[in-house]
Amino acid sequence: MSTPTSTATTAPGRYAASRRRVLGLARANALLMTRNRLTLVYGLVLPLLPLLLLFVGERGDTTVGATAVTTTLLMALLFPVYYNVLSLVVSRRDELVLKRLRTGETRDSELVVALSLPGVVIAMAVSVLTLVAGVAAGLPLPDNIALYAVAVLVSAVMFVAFAFWTAAWTRTAESAQMTSLPVITVAVAGTLTAALPARFAEVLDRTPAGALDALVRLSWFGEDGSRDVGLLDGWVAAGPPLLVLLAWTAAAVWLAARSLRWEPRS
Amino acid sequence: MTSRPSPSDLTAGAPAIRVRDLRRSFGHGRGAFEAVRGVDLDIEAGTISALLGTNGAGKTSTMELIEGLGRPSAGEIRVLGLDPLADRAALRPRMGILLQRSGFSGDLTVVETLRMWHSTLSHPQPVADLLGALGLEDRADTRVVGLSGGEQRRLDLACTLMGLPEVVLLDEPTTGLDPESRRDVWGLVRGLRERGTTVLLTTHHLEEAEALADELAIMHHGRIVRRGTVAQIVEGHPSTVRFATPGVPLPELRELRDTTRQERGSTVVETDDLQATLTALLTWADRTGVRLTDLSARTATLESVFLAVADQQRAPR
Repeated sequence: MSTPTSTATTAPGRYAASRRRVLGLARANALLMTRNRLTLVYGLVLPLLPLLLLFVGERGDTTVGATAVTTTLLMALLFPVYYNVLSLVVSRRDELVLKRLRTGETRDSELVVALSLPGVVIAMAVSVLTLVAGVAAGLPLPDNIALYAVAVLVSAVMFVAFAFWTAAWTRTAESAQMTSLPVITVAVAGTLTAALPARFAEVLDRTPAGALDALVRLSWFGEDGSRDVGLLDGWVAAGPPLLVLLAWTAAAVWLAARSLRWEPRS
Repeated sequence: MTSRPSPSDLTAGAPAIRVRDLRRSFGHGRGAFEAVRGVDLDIEAGTISALLGTNGAGKTSTMELIEGLGRPSAGEIRVLGLDPLADRAALRPRMGILLQRSGFSGDLTVVETLRMWHSTLSHPQPVADLLGALGLEDRADTRVVGLSGGEQRRLDLACTLMGLPEVVLLDEPTTGLDPESRRDVWGLVRGLRERGTTVLLTTHHLEEAEALADELAIMHHGRIVRRGTVAQIVEGHPSTVRFATPGVPLPELRELRDTTRQERGSTVVETDDLQATLTALLTWADRTGVRLTDLSARTATLESVFLAVADQQRAPR
């Protein structure tokens, strides 16, 4: 059937329209983040605080440096991404905004991207800022920036998926404070390798944050902190933690996809 | 909603909305509930049609299927010749949908909300034009949470109409509005018809259906039980004569037999021939010197038909 909507039927037009929708919706979501002081604090201020760790203690101390970098990235993934996307989805769903948007031309995949984009952009910005701050605080330049970027990106996708999954069984924006605890606890526990007996380390290495920590250390400081690992060996060494992270991501996406809800339970 | 049993044709003159044996069930097994039980509809292009019904009649369930928000358990739907689910991408730019309950972020302003919608449409009208058309210019920078119910509904309608849709589906557009806001919405809906837009709306306000719709369908327990113009629907339904029951027994008139009942001190007579019944009654009263107080006579109204339908259909369940 020929319609006047030719721009919507040609492929480039379709991508342009899709991009326009995602950006328009993401802009509104970002605007809403700035309207709420609490969201602003955990979305923007909280992830930047751990960076201060880089500037205390001895300049260029790689042990402290690695911990500070991992903590900063984890905060950026947990709050602007996980918690923010979770509360955004739950409140937009309860306000029937998502149901309303789904009556229009917006596709479900575009809604997912638009809801995630502000938080993911903040996490990306924080990860870049962490590089700058790390070098400013006397840390060496990272060995493998590509691996660092991959680790942050995959983790962001994973936490977005966990946010949508958690949202499925979160009744109200307030109850997100409780329902977010399991994911946050597991994530934080993964960084406690140093504080716990060695027999826990093997388990913690298989948690999302344990894998992220391993990837940050590998990408920035090389294997075992010795900086003479070649680039190829670096990627090979990154295999196990990367697989752990990808497995968690796949699980999170699977859980999210099968539990996704666009309107409140009636 | 004239019956036009043709195959799913895409030719000119085909109804804008065509529904055949539509069914929708919720739940499984013993708890299963069929909300829509075999609905047929044909909505002519460029007309306003109203789906009437009590709460729970299946109006919203039917609308959601036509809107492509749910999957029918059986039956066929064509909107502008297209399937609402399979042809979603081609159809949505040509449809405008208003849900029963508005969905907005309270912390966005009116103009921010409209800009957001604007970004999602293929052929949007300028935001400023809509602010004017919906009388929201003064509220442009007000957060949605600060709007009255009527203003929120107008904002919702602005979103519905922004893409210049050919088919507009309005689920209870005026529920919860004050009389003045309701008139405003009626004006907007009539304006759509003048532009050649096809409108299907649901309402449980009978006067709204009468005021707006070219054709009506009354829905009850998941089925369409009456359809046509108001005149067609009312036709064949009895008129009612009512008066305070006098102190003397009523005469054995042919016109009063069988169809007379007592209702809290009043006598109610239902008749297919209002003039003959009234003449007989008044002649008797005049001759015997009986004073018929609180006398009223009315032809069948949409309301009386609607209530009769609801009563009749309740019984067999």
